[in-house]
Amino acid sequence: MSLVAAARTKIYEINWLLPALILVLGLIGVAMIYAATDGVWTDGAQQHLVRLLAASGLMIVVAVIDIRFWYYMAYPIYAVSLLMLVGVDFMGVEKNGATRWLDVGVTDIQPSEIMKLAIVLALARYYHDIGKQRVSHIVGLIGALFIIAIPAQFILRQPDLGTTMLLTMTALAIIFLAGVNWRIIRSGAIAAAIAIPLFFQFFLKDYQRARIMTFFDPAADPSGAGYHIAQSKIALGSGGVSGKGYLQGTQNKLEYVPENGTDFIFTVIGEEFGLIGGLATMGLYILLMGICINMALQCRHQFSKLLILGLTTTFALYVFINLAMVMGLAPVVGVPLPLVSFGGTVILAVMTGFGLMLSAHLYRQNELPRSG
Amino acid sequence: MIDHQDDSHTLTRRTMILSGLGLGVFGVLGARLYQLQVLRAADYTALSEDNRFNYNILIPTRGRIFDRSGEYLAINQQQYHVEIISERIDDLNKTLDRIDEIVPLTPVNRERISKDVKKFAKFVPVIVKDHLSWDEFAALNFKAPELPGVIPRVGQGRSYPHQGAFSHVLGYVGRARPEDIAIDKDPLLRQPSFQIGRTGVEAAADMKLRGNSGRLKVEVNALGRIVREWPEEDQRAQPGSDVWLTLDAPLQKYAVELFAEDSGGVAVIDVMTGELRTLLSMPVFDANQFVSGLTQAEFDVLDKDPKRPQFNKVIGGNFPPASTFKMNVMLAALENRMVDPREKITCTGKIRLGDRNFHCWRRQGHGGVNMQQALQYSCDVYFYEMAQRMSMESVHDIAVKLGLGQTYELGISGQTKGVVPTPQWSREKVGTPWRGGDALNAFIGQGYVQVSPLQLSVMAARIANGNKAVSPHLIIGDNVPEFALLDIKTENMSFVQAAMRSVCHEPGGTAYRYMPLGVPGIEMAGKTGTGQVRGISASERASGVLKNRELDWQFRDHSIFVGYAPYDKPRFAVGTIVEHGGSGSKRAADITRKLLRRALQRDGLIEPDPEPSKNLEPEARL
Repeated sequence: MSLVAAARTKIYEINWLLPALILVLGLIGVAMIYAATDGVWTDGAQQHLVRLLAASGLMIVVAVIDIRFWYYMAYPIYAVSLLMLVGVDFMGVEKNGATRWLDVGVTDIQPSEIMKLAIVLALARYYHDIGKQRVSHIVGLIGALFIIAIPAQFILRQPDLGTTMLLTMTALAIIFLAGVNWRIIRSGAIAAAIAIPLFFQFFLKDYQRARIMTFFDPAADPSGAGYHIAQSKIALGSGGVSGKGYLQGTQNKLEYVPENGTDFIFTVIGEEFGLIGGLATMGLYILLMGICINMALQCRHQFSKLLILGLTTTFALYVFINLAMVMGLAPVVGVPLPLVSFGGTVILAVMTGFGLMLSAHLYRQNELPRSG
Repeated sequence: MIDHQDDSHTLTRRTMILSGLGLGVFGVLGARLYQLQVLRAADYTALSEDNRFNYNILIPTRGRIFDRSGEYLAINQQQYHVEIISERIDDLNKTLDRIDEIVPLTPVNRERISKDVKKFAKFVPVIVKDHLSWDEFAALNFKAPELPGVIPRVGQGRSYPHQGAFSHVLGYVGRARPEDIAIDKDPLLRQPSFQIGRTGVEAAADMKLRGNSGRLKVEVNALGRIVREWPEEDQRAQPGSDVWLTLDAPLQKYAVELFAEDSGGVAVIDVMTGELRTLLSMPVFDANQFVSGLTQAEFDVLDKDPKRPQFNKVIGGNFPPASTFKMNVMLAALENRMVDPREKITCTGKIRLGDRNFHCWRRQGHGGVNMQQALQYSCDVYFYEMAQRMSMESVHDIAVKLGLGQTYELGISGQTKGVVPTPQWSREKVGTPWRGGDALNAFIGQGYVQVSPLQLSVMAARIANGNKAVSPHLIIGDNVPEFALLDIKTENMSFVQAAMRSVCHEPGGTAYRYMPLGVPGIEMAGKTGTGQVRGISASERASGVLKNRELDWQFRDHSIFVGYAPYDKPRFAVGTIVEHGGSGSKRAADITRKLLRRALQRDGLIEPDPEPSKNLEPEARL
């Protein structure tokens, strides 16, 4: 009996609204990739669908596993992720000038994607364990900063500015949610205001700096990085209110928008379905995140709450950065639109994340070791 | 428990803060989307259209060039070439090796190909080699299936069916050079397969021959690859206009034949209209080679040839007119009443001026000669005497009236002005004062005097016409202004004409023994000339002047002749210079009279030769 049988009964208690919404967004992705590849089914759309379904299976498996297992595994997972990041540093596979991949025989994986989940697990457990009293305490703060700084440092070295920022912001959101007092938040903000310009000046690679500068002055480099933004805006703008119609987008079909199947997939939606399609897609994302937040607030334990909220934050940041980038409001940093963009590792990581959220919600009443 | 409550409160409150922040971000994104897709939609739609459409230039067919009776001189011919599309090729070198087995490629070819492949987008065809023979083309087509990305093609190329005969007049075409593009903004010039006229009529009438480009509206992707054509919005290319020349192709080719291996130039001109029936520079080169691109070796052969085939001598060559200049002196003397034409001047074979002897071509002298005889025998001493009696300026004025020392509105470039010196000219251009010896030399058409064969023909035409300053023209349809009056007294002109007749038809005339025309009842007028290239020293004169055939080619005399026919009703005039043509004016006189005869025959004025020469047959028309 036991585990498998318990899982079988538990499966009905899953909050099915969330997987349903995920599937809708994923299928929008399939349709848009099909459009972006000029109607060639085998150029990505098919693969995206297969990955979507496979990852959904994984999500359900993760979901039915007791949250206590994930609680105990939080630190080990974090440790393994960290080891893999170190591994990338020593023997990573280089693609397009960045070393982000680890060759594990069957395929190349991106440890930084796994770390996005692991750091949320680790921080949720950390704050669950130390309890509210020590959140704003100096020791509590230092522990959290270590959990963040070590992986962030390795990812920055790959170099992957986008993921580093994403990771840091997620972690800061968790610290904020965990209840660190406003005095610390204020001093942290002041420190950041001083540190960020210095960071920009001394730690960024030339190409990263160029990307950010291009964002502020796209005309300076119309065929390089500025080209992405300019062409992406043309695609969106020419879509108008109702769009050019499915498979009718000239900008995308004629390959003017680079990487329109991956990071710039939203331009296809905007060009072919216009403002209506764009706002509808954003509405779906808002709904999805609303469901997640609601699930978090129903949980009993700090670990589950912080886990769901942290993962939701990561997800939201993906969406925000991607949309802002596509609309020309943020520099081109290579962040996909989760669920819709083509890309294997991302969909796997995102769906595992949703699996964890579903598990936390499914076992929201289960007993965890007492806080602090 | 309170602790837990508090904990939960803080978290809920902070979750709401972050959620609010998130909704705010979505609000900003939504507003941005509204801005892009509603407020600025029109701008971006226009930009999208710009992206999408391109206009491809369609190259017009170049106009053809005909002779006066419609014989093809320059045409567009099917031309075979082979091109490659680099994106379909794995290994460029290996592919070129395979092509090389059929069509030999030089290292220069290869270098140019790899440069082009790098320069253009990978789907743009790059020409590997053009002007393939049919055999090469067929062999490539046979091999093509195993050579992906290699495409044998049929295109259009300029072709000159008569090879060399018209090469200097027609010029040739070639790809536009950066300096052409800088001046001429026609987008056609930027097309790699478009060719503009480089020299000759091809350049002179280029605007007419070129036509107007067409446009093909195409939808292109970001890399410039054409994804769709929009034929309904095509603007077709307008082919260039054809150009007719005044030349008579069979006559010109006959002239080539008459020159054979010799170098020089000849012009046959209509004495009434100025139309050039022949305008030939020898030796010729094959302009087709220039269109297809010369190899370095071929170029070297042309470039190092002492006879300078590339040089258009008939309009650009500077030669001493020698005795053919004497008509100018005669006319100047008559017009200015400087001498009684009946006065006999004694020729002893030489005269002495200062410490120098000036010799007549006839060492033993001519005895007493009047003006008419002086021309008939070409007595130099008579003209030396004239030089001492009259000014160089008066001769210069007549020479200019007769068309020397100037260029004409011919259309094609490369004309020389030649030189008709004056004392002032000598001071300004040579920097030395005009000495008596200079005048003596100039009066017999040597020294500083220089003319082109075309100028000689014009001079002959104006003497023949007697009334109007006939100017040559070449391209039919060019505006020919009304010829000015010559302003030379008719009786003086008649005197010179009669003297020129005697050169050919009176015993003792320097051309008498060359059997003028040989047509009963029709006479011609002419004048011989022997252009001296080297000075003859006193010691050489003492020991016997070397015969021309004993000299190296470049030291031999130029053989010169001017003439017109018929004498009584002039129709055509000819100026001929055979460069280093050797002893006397025999070569040039021979070419001139044969051309005059053939020109009159072709004009229907005299019966053709009983056995029509095969050269009269127009070449198979293409």
